[in-house]
Amino acid sequence: QVSAALKEGRVTPTELCQRCLALIKSTKFLNAYITVTEETALKLAEESEERYKRGQPLGILDGIPIAVKDNFNTAGIETTCASKMLRGYISPYNATVVQKILDQGAVLLGKTNLDEFAMGSGSTDGVFGPVRNPWSYSKQYKEKSVPKSHSEDKESDWVITGGSSGGSAAAVSSFTCFAALGSDTGGSTRNPAAHCGVVGLKPTYGLISRHGLIPLVNSMDVPGILTRCVDDAAVLLGSLAGHDPKDSTTIQDDFKPFELPNLTDVSKLSIGIPKEYNAPGLSSEVLALWSKAADLFKNAGAKVVEVSLPHTRYSIVCYHVLCTAEVASNMARFDGLEYGHRSDVKDSTESMYAATRREGFNDVVRGRILSGNYFLLKQNYEKYFVKAQKVRRLIANDFMKVFRSGVDILLTPTTLSDAAPYTEFIQEDNRTRSAQDDILTQAANMAGLPAINVPTALSERGLPVGLQFIGRSFQEKQLLTVAKWFEKQVQFPVIQLEEVKRHDNGVFQHQKSASFS
Amino acid sequence: VLNRRCVEAAVMTGLALNCHINKKSLFDRKHFFYADLPAGYQITQQRVPIAVNGSLSYSLCIDNKMSQMVTKTVRIKQIQLEQDSGKSLRDDIRSQTLVDLNRAGVGLMELVMEPDMCCGEEAAAAVRELQLILQTLGSSQAVMAEGQLRVDANVSVHHPGEPYGVRTEVKNINSIRFLAKAVDYEIQRQIEELGNGRTILNETRAFDSKLGCTVPMRDKEGKQDYRFMPEPNLPPLILYDAKSLPANMNYQQLINIDWIHERLPDLPTVKREKLVEQYGILPEHSFTLLNEDGLAEFFESVVKQTQMKPKKVIGWILNDLLSYLKQHSLTVKESPVSSFLLADLLNLLEKKEISSTAAKRVLAELWKGEGKTPLETVKEQKLELLQDQKELEQICQAVIDGQENE
Repeated sequence: QVSAALKEGRVTPTELCQRCLALIKSTKFLNAYITVTEETALKLAEESEERYKRGQPLGILDGIPIAVKDNFNTAGIETTCASKMLRGYISPYNATVVQKILDQGAVLLGKTNLDEFAMGSGSTDGVFGPVRNPWSYSKQYKEKSVPKSHSEDKESDWVITGGSSGGSAAAVSSFTCFAALGSDTGGSTRNPAAHCGVVGLKPTYGLISRHGLIPLVNSMDVPGILTRCVDDAAVLLGSLAGHDPKDSTTIQDDFKPFELPNLTDVSKLSIGIPKEYNAPGLSSEVLALWSKAADLFKNAGAKVVEVSLPHTRYSIVCYHVLCTAEVASNMARFDGLEYGHRSDVKDSTESMYAATRREGFNDVVRGRILSGNYFLLKQNYEKYFVKAQKVRRLIANDFMKVFRSGVDILLTPTTLSDAAPYTEFIQEDNRTRSAQDDILTQAANMAGLPAINVPTALSERGLPVGLQFIGRSFQEKQLLTVAKWFEKQVQFPVIQLEEVKRHDNGVFQHQKSASFS
Repeated sequence: VLNRRCVEAAVMTGLALNCHINKKSLFDRKHFFYADLPAGYQITQQRVPIAVNGSLSYSLCIDNKMSQMVTKTVRIKQIQLEQDSGKSLRDDIRSQTLVDLNRAGVGLMELVMEPDMCCGEEAAAAVRELQLILQTLGSSQAVMAEGQLRVDANVSVHHPGEPYGVRTEVKNINSIRFLAKAVDYEIQRQIEELGNGRTILNETRAFDSKLGCTVPMRDKEGKQDYRFMPEPNLPPLILYDAKSLPANMNYQQLINIDWIHERLPDLPTVKREKLVEQYGILPEHSFTLLNEDGLAEFFESVVKQTQMKPKKVIGWILNDLLSYLKQHSLTVKESPVSSFLLADLLNLLEKKEISSTAAKRVLAELWKGEGKTPLETVKEQKLELLQDQKELEQICQAVIDGQENE
């Protein structure tokens, strides 16, 4: 819709950009952005405006403000991965996905906050501090919160965004941008999407190029898409997908961008409900919502069946081994010699390495590196790494079997519950939290399948809860079509934020779900 | 991203060395920290390399006179593709190490031979042959001094009948001559050590060309756990042959082993045989012809331009031309005497216009490179052979008369 508005001249790209920038400033307390590229954004907006004046916009994305997670390389702009190790590092090149959106005329607003090096499920462990969920400040949440005694600081009530793409999710959710890029290795796009009430798409592994995405786990990472509605996600997917010669893990086949049909008849659809996803710790609220959703499909005529993915319970440990091993490998390049932080210790190269890496990485990162190296030791390799790879194959096969038996899409919860208050979340360490929170999302990364979070309803506490759809490899069209149908059925409410209302005078109000397509 | 040319070069080399080419080979990461390794790991092929089980045949002279050649073979264990690291340069004056990263990431081909050689001479001959093969294929220009071909020697000694001894690895060898020296030195050193009741350490040693000996290298550790892991960013490398080539794929993305095989140029052994057959020269001669860059072409060029038989031409090439070039440290390309000039001279000799001794004198003149033709030189120095019977008789008579007068 906003794209149409731009085309018709009802609003100009620079106006749009300025509003977003102003909103970013007034929502600074959310800490969603690490770097705001004000000058660049305005310049891009001006260029876009020129194109619209000439009647030659580059496409739907021309002039649309977009934010990018700070683990994507952006030429001339600081890229930190929320780590001391890369503070002050100015990328010399654009990641392929960044280049693609820029080529379409998008306006890059800035780099969003995350867990350090994308490790975490809360966006709380970055060097720039935690990201706050915009819903903490929403009317809906405030109405439902138990009034606290005066002595308690109202500030500490806020809830987390989820992670690790928390900054991107918060940015989209708080209307400071119209779409954001995140990354998804174990659920890092879908988890914060669920907590922040936005759409989070994890594409099939190999569909979108990882070139320029600072790697966490090369065999599971994908760039993720965060938007306010499913149609927008489809648009963004269309701009980003396709073979990249610079990334040998992207598939060669041609990708054809698509428009989503408006599904009306779901009777030919078969929805699978994996029973193992009724995981320990799943809140009764989410469970109830999941059931309701299943009933929704059933009542509309779809076939809803219970299925089994028996190896689900092994996925956490398997993920832990493979993830830490690849992390240990990928983090080896941060030695302080070529770029990034370098310690002042000069006694020898080895001591410089050690000091640099101790100073540059936080506990979470260091912990994973140590574990990973342990698993890769010659004496442990067979026992852990190779075994984990075998289990990974079994997990992927579980999905294959289910899809082959006639099921089209799987429906599962995305998170165990709604967003936790920050003070509660930090009671447990990162590893424990990740192990708990990733369970519903991570199998899709192991199997390389596409998955999407669709915001479904508000919890008792007034916070968003989302549900996840998992589809067959490279069948994003089918996946998104079903997601879109579901989105329409549930009519998830718009967040009511004071700050947004202040800045909004027409443009945002026009749109119920504030989409740009 | 994998470099196509590197893969092709590896396949060509593998085929030339009679290797089995693995249609599916894998890439791994080898992890260790070093200043010249920016990623903290090197991509290599530890599990399944691109080519295995080949052989390299080379020739050796039994004595130093080039009169008897014997053929030996060394088995090739494998050929693998890997990444180069940067270059470390030690600045002793300022006690620092400088790192040049320009080379890091460039594709390398590592060739591993089995321990089938028994002395410096064999090692040098094998590597020399390998060099010629690589140059013929175009896989590499293989100039050791420029680092295009790097050789590490693994040396061990044992009593006959006993298992192989502990080996040491010798690095920093910059030429074929030094290779022979380093190997021989190390063999002697190990024999002495063992003779004195000591043991050989499995270590890495550097060859010091100035002192002509090997010394232990400080930087490299003993045993390191490289924490090998499959390289997740490079899918398995699949090669095809004529039978397995898929029908509908984009040919830009594929490599066909049979196609490469058909286009392999003649390898040195074949070239030598052809020279022997075609020109009737001895095997030792053709060996030397190929050993010098450009000499074989020079020879063939002269043969074309002269009536003299190749068997005779070869003498002039190997004895006169070559020794002159060696004396003045010139390459064939830098020769002041072109094949045309030499052919011209040999024609004069063949037509019996000058004697063999005279020809040598002319050649000496031609070396000066003053641009005179052989004929001009002959006339200048009055070296023409006298053909006239009468004149000869007169001269002889004069000499005899002269004698009688004493």
